[in-house]
Amino acid sequence: MILFFLISGLFLGWSLGANDASNAFGSAVGSKMISFRKAAVIASVAVILGAVIQGSGTSETLGRLGSVNAIGGSFTLAFASAATVYLMTKFSLPVSTTQAIVGAIIGWNLFTSNRTDPATLTTIVTTWISGPVLGALFAIPLFMLIIKIKKRSGMHIIRFESHLRTGLVIAGAFAAYSLGANNIANVMGVFLPAFNLHELNLGLITLSSNQQLFLLGGMAIAAGIITYSEKVMKTIGTSIVQLNPEAAMVVVLAHSVVLFIFSSAALSSLLVRHGLPAIPLVPVSSSQVMIGCVVGIGLYKGVRNINFSILGQIAAGWIATPVITCVLTFFSLFFFKNMFNIDVGHKIPVGTDIQEVTVTADPKTSEIMRYLLLGIILAGFLLATYYYFLERKKRKELLLSEEKFWKNIK
Amino acid sequence: MTLFTRTTKNLIIKIDEFFDNVELGILVFREGIKSYITKNQTDFDRHLLKVDVLESNADKLQRAIENDMITNSILPQHREEVTRLIDELDEIIDSVKSSLNDFNIELPEIPESLNEPILSLVEASASSAEELIPAARAYFKAPYTVREKLLKVYYFETETDKISKGIKKQIFQKMPELDLAHKAHLRYILHHIENISDIAQKAADLLAAMSVKIIT
Repeated sequence: MILFFLISGLFLGWSLGANDASNAFGSAVGSKMISFRKAAVIASVAVILGAVIQGSGTSETLGRLGSVNAIGGSFTLAFASAATVYLMTKFSLPVSTTQAIVGAIIGWNLFTSNRTDPATLTTIVTTWISGPVLGALFAIPLFMLIIKIKKRSGMHIIRFESHLRTGLVIAGAFAAYSLGANNIANVMGVFLPAFNLHELNLGLITLSSNQQLFLLGGMAIAAGIITYSEKVMKTIGTSIVQLNPEAAMVVVLAHSVVLFIFSSAALSSLLVRHGLPAIPLVPVSSSQVMIGCVVGIGLYKGVRNINFSILGQIAAGWIATPVITCVLTFFSLFFFKNMFNIDVGHKIPVGTDIQEVTVTADPKTSEIMRYLLLGIILAGFLLATYYYFLERKKRKELLLSEEKFWKNIK
Repeated sequence: MTLFTRTTKNLIIKIDEFFDNVELGILVFREGIKSYITKNQTDFDRHLLKVDVLESNADKLQRAIENDMITNSILPQHREEVTRLIDELDEIIDSVKSSLNDFNIELPEIPESLNEPILSLVEASASSAEELIPAARAYFKAPYTVREKLLKVYYFETETDKISKGIKKQIFQKMPELDLAHKAHLRYILHHIENISDIAQKAADLLAAMSVKIIT
């Protein structure tokens, strides 16, 4: 039963993968620099790695905003967020999974009479604004640099484009890694306190309870990328962000740097060690940071290039998404609690540590999770091998047909 | 990444080889016509054979370049124009080959008084096509310089037209000793020669547009 509740989180992860992965590889796939299949494989692997290796930082911040102490509550939060994201996307309104989940947590706090920490909330909201601004600030010098290199190097355009393609793949993989690290908290963060799984030994590495959930969430994001992001990626590359390959690479790179900064605990503690203020580890909206980067390039090229209505839409999204999700979560919690008699959480006494509210799961859950994860990893490995041999076969067939052609000509 | 580098290197070599073939083809054309006019049949046959090999090589390279660009998704935003440019350049070497073959099959009788003007025509037409090659190479390395390089193509194309017009006038107005069939045949041969500069001009127009697109 406890695993059933995870479905809403996995659905949220799937929609995150379907929508936000396009930010990492949309420009490359849309401009046909790399094929969708290659992009999907690289993005899926990178997103899973980012989630498992570096996902804990942003999750802690969300935990401080509200530590959901019942699995029914986690289910409802993820469900309300996924529903808001789905509905707003359907009506073509700018939406961010991050803002949806924050709104949902506040909704849960209101319903269970828990206090929302104003300091944490302020930190989170500040990064929603500073994220796109930082994106723009990173994008401008990077764009200037790449244009200078292109003009002065006198490189063959095919070689330059090859370097650009390599750059796009690396930047895309980095962006997908950062997406996993930064946004996994949105997908699995609310479920963390409700699970206490046994450690999973994979031979080379051992995964903690949280990491197992992050791995599952990462896989859900990967599933979203593989099954549904192709159309979004092609749209991003051809209509919304009509950029040349150089600008596309800059946008992807700058946006992934911002996402990485807001999820790197190591970087934050390095700054603290040097007497500088710590970086808030907060999930930020990848799409909005991306738009910030595009605006930065637009500013560099001339203000005329900027579509100010998009900026207005983003600002509206900042307010509308958390408010709608908060209201929806509040009523959903009321509905689930009273109609199905599900425990959706309770008030946490002031001064209680977050770890103390952990709900211990059934020991059998660890076993099921172990087989589930191992099964998915094995299936992924088999699929990747199949894909590799398929590509090899295609190349061989092309070579053979070419040889045949020239033989017949003779 | 190694795969990208290897493919890129191979493709750059193939494009360079293709340009070399076209350039040599134009050179062979010029020498071939000279040897025909000077009635040096051995040299002419040698040039005919050489142009056959160059044209065949160019065809193979053209196909390989197009295949590589499509299968490895190289220059996706400019691929169509690049393949069109390669097509246009291939048309030059095709035209060179067909001109020399026509000389070989039809054996046109060129009056002595037309030897010099025809050689000038060949020179101008071949120069127009020759000047296109550095411009095409520059598109890949320094697109900012393409337009200035193309000026010579247009200059020699205009020269070709002027010379051709002069020769045609001479044939049809100042050489009553030639019968109409002979005159028509000579005009047909002239068309073949000036056609090379016309193709070069068409390719130059395309190249000019391509260079603007790539630098903006």
